[in-house]
Amino acid sequence: MKVSLRTQYLLTAALSGALFGTGLYVSQMVDPLKVLRFLDFTAIPTGGWDPSLALVMGGGLLVMFIAVQYGKRRNKPLFDSTFHQPEYNRIDAPLVGGAVLFGIGWGMSGICPGPAISLLAFLPSNLWVFLVAMFVGSYLGNMMMRRVRRTAVPA
Amino acid sequence: MEHFTPVPALVGGLLIGLASAVLWLGNGRIAGISGIFGQLLPPARSAIWRAVFLIALVLGALVTSRLLPDLGSNPELVTAPAGSGLETPVWLAIAGLLTGIGTRIGNGCTSGHGICGLARLSKRSAVAVAIFFGVAIITVAVTGVV
Repeated sequence: MKVSLRTQYLLTAALSGALFGTGLYVSQMVDPLKVLRFLDFTAIPTGGWDPSLALVMGGGLLVMFIAVQYGKRRNKPLFDSTFHQPEYNRIDAPLVGGAVLFGIGWGMSGICPGPAISLLAFLPSNLWVFLVAMFVGSYLGNMMMRRVRRTAVPA
Repeated sequence: MEHFTPVPALVGGLLIGLASAVLWLGNGRIAGISGIFGQLLPPARSAIWRAVFLIALVLGALVTSRLLPDLGSNPELVTAPAGSGLETPVWLAIAGLLTGIGTRIGNGCTSGHGICGLARLSKRSAVAVAIFFGVAIITVAVTGVV
C-alpha cells in the first residue's frame, strides 16, 4: 500500500489541516480586510496600520524553524521514508515572475491561497469567483511549468 | 494601531507553525497551501492526502469560528476600487487568476515560501517572500483597495 494512503499518514494530514484552519481563523488572517490593513503601508503615518500579520508570520516561523532543526536530527519523518525537501535552489525567472504575479493578486484582494480555501467556512459573497479563477490560474501555471521543464536544457 | 490584535495574531501564528511542523515531522511534507491545492489538478500526484488536508482546513476554520465567535466578524471580500472602472467580480477574478498562476510558477505562497521555506532557510523562498510582500504593498498603495 502506498505510504500516503495509510491511516496514520492521512490522520496527520487531517490534523495539520485542522490546526492550520484554526490558526487562520484565530489570527483572523481569513479576513481579507485584516490582511490588507497590514499591506497598506500608506496608513503607517496616520497610525491606522495593522502589524498583526507580522506576528502571525513570526509565530509560525518560530515553531516551524524548531521543527526543521529537530527533523535534521532524525533523518526521516514518522510516516514516510524521506523529507520531501525541494532540492532545486536556483533563483530563476519563473520564481521571480511568479512572485510578482502573486504579489499583485494578493495586493488586489488581500487573499492568499490558505485563506481563500478556509473562507469556504464563511462563504462571503463573490468567493466562488475568486476560487474558480484561482483554480483556473493554478491549472494554467501547472501547464506553463510543464512546458518550461520539458524545454529546459539540463544544467 | 487601533486594528492591531497582538495576542490572537501570535497565537494563530503559533498554531499555523504547529500545523506546518506536524505535516513536516509526520509526513515529511511542506504545508504550502498553493502547492497542496495546485497538485490536486492535472497532472495530479497523491491527491487523497491533499484533499483530506484541505477539507480539514475548512472544517478547522469553521469549528473554531463556532467555538470562538468573538474573535472575528464575518469576513467579506473587497469591492473593486471606484477608480479601476471594473466590476467587483471582474476585479476578484483577475486577482484569483494572478494568485493561481503566480503561486504555481513561483512554486509557493505565504505558507510554503513564507513559513516553511524561510524556516528551512531557503534562498529561493527568501527571494520570493521579499518580492511578493513588496509587490503586494505597492499594489495596495497604487490601487487604494483598502
